[in-house]
Amino acid sequence: MKDINIVIEMCGSAGEGTISAGEILSRFMSAQGYEIMSFDSYPAEIRGFGKCVAHTRISSDPIYSPGKLADVLIALNDNHSISQLSALKNQGILIYDSQPARPHEEDKSVLGWVDPGIITYGIPLTMLAHRAAGSARGRNMVALGAIAAIFHMDKAGFTQSIEDRYSKKKKIVIDSNVNSFLEGFEWATKHIEKIDSFSFEGVTMPLQDEKLIINGNQLVARAALDANLKFYAGYPITPATKIMEILSKELPRHGGILLQTEDEIAAIGAVVGAGFGGIRAMTATSGPGFALMTEFTGLSVMAEVPAVIINSQRGGPSTGIPTKTEQSDFNAALSGGTGDCPRVVLAPTDTYSCYQAIVLALYLAEKYQTLVVVLLDFFLSNSIRNIDTPEKPSESLLNANIAPQPEELENYQRYKITETGISPRTIPGTPGGIFFSTGLEHDEYGRPNYSDKGHLKMTEKRFKKHGAVLSEAPAPQISEFDGETADIGVISWGSSAGAAREAVMLARKEGISAASFSSMMLSPFPEKELIGFSDKCKKLLVPELNFGGQFANFATHIIKRPLERLNFITGRPMASEDILEKMREM
Amino acid sequence: MPSYDHYVILGNGPAGNNAASFLRENDKDAKITIISDENIPFYYKPGLTRYVTGDLAVSDLLVESLPSYRERNIRLRLGQIVDKIDPEQKIVFLRHKENVHYTKLVIASGSRARVLPSMRGYAQCLKHITTYNEVMEFKDQIQAANDFFIFGGDLVGFKFIKMLGSMGKKVTLLIYPNAFWPFTLTHEMQTTIASNLEKSGVEIIVGDDIHRIIEKENAYVVKTVKGMEKKVDMVFSFNGMIPSVDFAKGCGLDIDRGILVNETMQTNVPDIYACGSCAQIYNPDINSYTTSIGWPNAVVQGEVTAMNLLGDHKVIESAGRKYFDLEGVKIKTTWWEDIEESSSI
Repeated sequence: MKDINIVIEMCGSAGEGTISAGEILSRFMSAQGYEIMSFDSYPAEIRGFGKCVAHTRISSDPIYSPGKLADVLIALNDNHSISQLSALKNQGILIYDSQPARPHEEDKSVLGWVDPGIITYGIPLTMLAHRAAGSARGRNMVALGAIAAIFHMDKAGFTQSIEDRYSKKKKIVIDSNVNSFLEGFEWATKHIEKIDSFSFEGVTMPLQDEKLIINGNQLVARAALDANLKFYAGYPITPATKIMEILSKELPRHGGILLQTEDEIAAIGAVVGAGFGGIRAMTATSGPGFALMTEFTGLSVMAEVPAVIINSQRGGPSTGIPTKTEQSDFNAALSGGTGDCPRVVLAPTDTYSCYQAIVLALYLAEKYQTLVVVLLDFFLSNSIRNIDTPEKPSESLLNANIAPQPEELENYQRYKITETGISPRTIPGTPGGIFFSTGLEHDEYGRPNYSDKGHLKMTEKRFKKHGAVLSEAPAPQISEFDGETADIGVISWGSSAGAAREAVMLARKEGISAASFSSMMLSPFPEKELIGFSDKCKKLLVPELNFGGQFANFATHIIKRPLERLNFITGRPMASEDILEKMREM
Repeated sequence: MPSYDHYVILGNGPAGNNAASFLRENDKDAKITIISDENIPFYYKPGLTRYVTGDLAVSDLLVESLPSYRERNIRLRLGQIVDKIDPEQKIVFLRHKENVHYTKLVIASGSRARVLPSMRGYAQCLKHITTYNEVMEFKDQIQAANDFFIFGGDLVGFKFIKMLGSMGKKVTLLIYPNAFWPFTLTHEMQTTIASNLEKSGVEIIVGDDIHRIIEKENAYVVKTVKGMEKKVDMVFSFNGMIPSVDFAKGCGLDIDRGILVNETMQTNVPDIYACGSCAQIYNPDINSYTTSIGWPNAVVQGEVTAMNLLGDHKVIESAGRKYFDLEGVKIKTTWWEDIEESSSI
């Protein structure tokens, strides 16, 4: 059977419909049965006409990373697309507006920067959009029409996807978009002499169940609602805002409350307060907001109050690079703040596992009465996948509070020392369950106690929970070994895990003996499994999106042997191509 | 003192590249742009016959790589077609709707295959070996083809015939006395060339002309005026080159066959120079303009042009630069003397 694997990027200016065109392409391809992975990058500034890129990888085979370089670049805006040429493959295809409304000034034309080897298809995008709908607004749809013709995509199916996308709009909007698409399709069919080899013709996809087309942020919100979230407090921040935006509509419908606070400190304060009150609560933020929350994270751990923080990482430190992805909050998530402050940290490795991570986070926070941090990143938050609809959480995951037995209430010790470190918790209002709760070190009753023995006892208690948490953690994802051992073991975390997995698969096809390891659970960490994995690998590689190798440093202490590092802070997601290249060098 | 000049060079051959290199060496701050309609960096055009017959790889043709331009801070625009020039505003208009501003312009656009007026009706049937872009279109066909019809001759044509011979291909040559346009072969020269080629198995037709070419079932039927008919796989025309200057017409530049320049390579329009085979250079000895061919000539002209752009007043030499041995006939390329003069043979 013929297969296809293609990365298409559309680059335009904010307001040109770049992102919506990318979304339509993704939805159409998903409906056709292809695997898709897409993500958008857009300017950090709220106002202005910054550069937008809609990146979509489409494949007839399973895919785990978005693809480093594009096969096709559609330039809706020449000026912005010039810098995007560096992300186009050497033999890639450039689709550009051959009849712009006015000539480009020197060096402002994308075609003026094209290197030999690039195939160029000039389409009069502006002219055709005017002809179809009387304005240049439909250039994005003309471009979609052109690629549909050039790459032999299903015209009727694509048209239907456009109609679906605008089904809630007025008829004139639907017609304008459809007509623009058809104009581009007809023009390209008639005028483009195809010299590339990409074609969807003859690629027959097996019929599949209907997929859920969703990004990480949307799935986080959905998971939170399914996992009985009842309170959300937050302050908007890229790339986490979408979670709050969705919950602001949906949470009240599910019997919950959303509170937009004046800043992140207030948000985490409210979440800890709600947790103290006995309901499931969370907040979502990014690096700068997470930094502000530090003091309350300590309170959550010390007072043993459930709290969930989602930190969708972006380029840092400080305000950093708001719309670029990075994995540089690993250290802050695991050890940010003061004192010996054990917390649970989860990092989903793909879109699907965002759902599992949130369900698990709310469950663990409630059961273990502690802080749970979920590390997303810009890429995971925004990349769109077509996935199977996740199964809703079981009842046991929805109500995890361990309440005291009636006899325990007679002399109620809120911070009772137990085998697991979990002390039965009364919800305020429980008869006989009154207790002190403070950020000060305390005894079993919650009364301040500064003795060295008391502090040691309580610190040990708080750390003791880790062992129990680990027993409930999902097992690390370890690829099968070709034999007993592998020449190269790739250890990864978070959104880089997909690229690592794909790189290992590609390496094996090249005859490189390789295996991969990733764990959603970062704290507590499945150390035994990592040591077992590393013992079977001659060399180890840790690819991650930060400069200092934060996870690599962490892993080195566990496995106690040197490892190779691959670090990028380009703002782009990890690419399997880069990992594979490094593996070849090793 | 920093220079703010923007030297725009139209053409990526030996003249244009030599001018660019010399300018960069002597003016570190200027912006230098080379614009070429071909999609390949500077390559050795005389090697095209060997490339097209599979004797050379494309990497063997390349004279400069893309990184070398970046290292020297020379902006190379490839695959970009110049539509016209506006000397008043000092703008070069590119076909893809981009306007490039210059302070000094060098036209080194080279030349293209000359199609005889009588052959224009059959132009779509004819193949030429003048540019990389052209030969890329039929390179693969050459390997598969067996019978070739070539009319004209010229230097490139004779090289090609030799290469086809070495590949065991069957070649018919209809030789034209004026295939070396703007020079004309004498009867004596023609006879010598024909005799030498026949010895190597080439079928020679002299004193005839093409009547018709008919495309038929992936082949061509060539009919001559004298009634000869030949079915072949490919038809090539080698009738010399003519300056490639259409884009410059109507902008105020004096153009005859090529762009007319004085002995310092300057055109009649301030800040515009021309060099290489697109230029017709004034020769005070004969009080006329002549064109030149050949790589060495282009190199020298590019350098002289660059010198004068930088403020020198260098006059181009009037000596021929290279002798070609054409099937036993020695021809000196020159832009001054007529080919029929004894000193050139």
